[in-house]
Amino acid sequence: MRFKQMIAAITAASFLSLGMHTTASAGVIGTPEYLSAADRAGQIARIESTLSRADVQAQLVALGVNPADATQRIASLNDAELNLMTEKLDQLPAGGDGFLAVIGIVFIVLLILEITGVTDIFKKV
Amino acid sequence: MSAFALTACVTGPARLPENPQHELTSVAFFPQDTHQCGPAALATMLVSTGVDTTPEQLVPEVYIPAKRGSLQVEMLAAARRHGRIPLRLAPDFSALRTELEAGNPVLVLQDLGALGIRRWHYAVAIGYDPAREVLILRSGKKRRHLEREWYFLRTWQAGENWAVTITPAGRIPATATAAGYIRAVAGSESHLPTADIDATYAAALQRWPDEPLVLLASANHDYATGRLEAARTSYRHLLELQPDHLAAHNNLANLLIDQGCAAGAQAHARRALELAEKEPALAPAVRETAERAGQMTVRPASAGARCD
Repeated sequence: MRFKQMIAAITAASFLSLGMHTTASAGVIGTPEYLSAADRAGQIARIESTLSRADVQAQLVALGVNPADATQRIASLNDAELNLMTEKLDQLPAGGDGFLAVIGIVFIVLLILEITGVTDIFKKV
Repeated sequence: MSAFALTACVTGPARLPENPQHELTSVAFFPQDTHQCGPAALATMLVSTGVDTTPEQLVPEVYIPAKRGSLQVEMLAAARRHGRIPLRLAPDFSALRTELEAGNPVLVLQDLGALGIRRWHYAVAIGYDPAREVLILRSGKKRRHLEREWYFLRTWQAGENWAVTITPAGRIPATATAAGYIRAVAGSESHLPTADIDATYAAALQRWPDEPLVLLASANHDYATGRLEAARTSYRHLLELQPDHLAAHNNLANLLIDQGCAAGAQAHARRALELAEKEPALAPAVRETAERAGQMTVRPASAGARCD
């Protein structure tokens, strides 16, 4: 348990530097800072982003993404996007093909027709 | 029989001669492998803007094995990583059509499922024939997929009419708003070479010469790359348009500190400090500026032409 927490802390710390934007000098308000200050969602997202990065990376790895690829992928997400992935990775649409789902639907339709007696495809044994 | 009926409505109108008037015929095509319409559609988009890539190379960037698909946010992030600027369009069909007419292919998300089962799918719209109300897409294994407008609209609605252009630096989508575009550019900036960012802001300033956000972003870029005079002119122009622009006062104060103009720096820092009371998120940066400006000593002799 301790070990896991330590890994998480180290990962979070390593992401800290990735999230920083370079500006000419300390007091300058960079464009990304200005934009995220402009909307409240952006402000909240900024605060949470450091922790989310490690969290989302772990989720991607659990979903079969190569750990090194996951690190790179997360580095180019902005704070709002990261927040979205932290909160609802399960519900977000994942554009794929879904061909198997269609076959499933067809099978179910055929099965219903069969059960209700409209057709009798499956009885010709 | 029902299998045939299901696919029949996806196939759409059977024949429509290829017509460069309504169609971006030169857009590349990569037929998708199983489940991998994300990488295939993204490759189609990126290659059309001059990126050298293939769906195979994009699989490790956007595909999620256990989900058998790709997320929208990751498609956008990947476009940024390749030095392109992705922009979400206004969620209406007319915006999509306007982009096609302007020569920009459009990445769309559709739900091709039925009976309540979702079947998310990415495709690239490349043309529209208004006479027949038919949309032309690079989709799945079909290089030239024809879809009736009503059917497309139905499948598109499920994903909240998600449509995205991906453009190279300096080419602004036809329907872009200044705010939306600057946000998109800010997201891609860290992946773009300086020359590309220059081209992008030059194009943005040409299209929106008096838009505060464009002026600010462009001035910030000039400042960050050491072009202090250009940055100073833009900040001043912005302050003429919006005398109470906090970030412009603050950043101009920093710039004047760098140029050794104490009086000007302190005046702008003071104004920024007053305005920061309403903007707590920006207050720490402003306080830092004020502190730096306060440490300068005003020497009337040094206030030459450079500080005017």
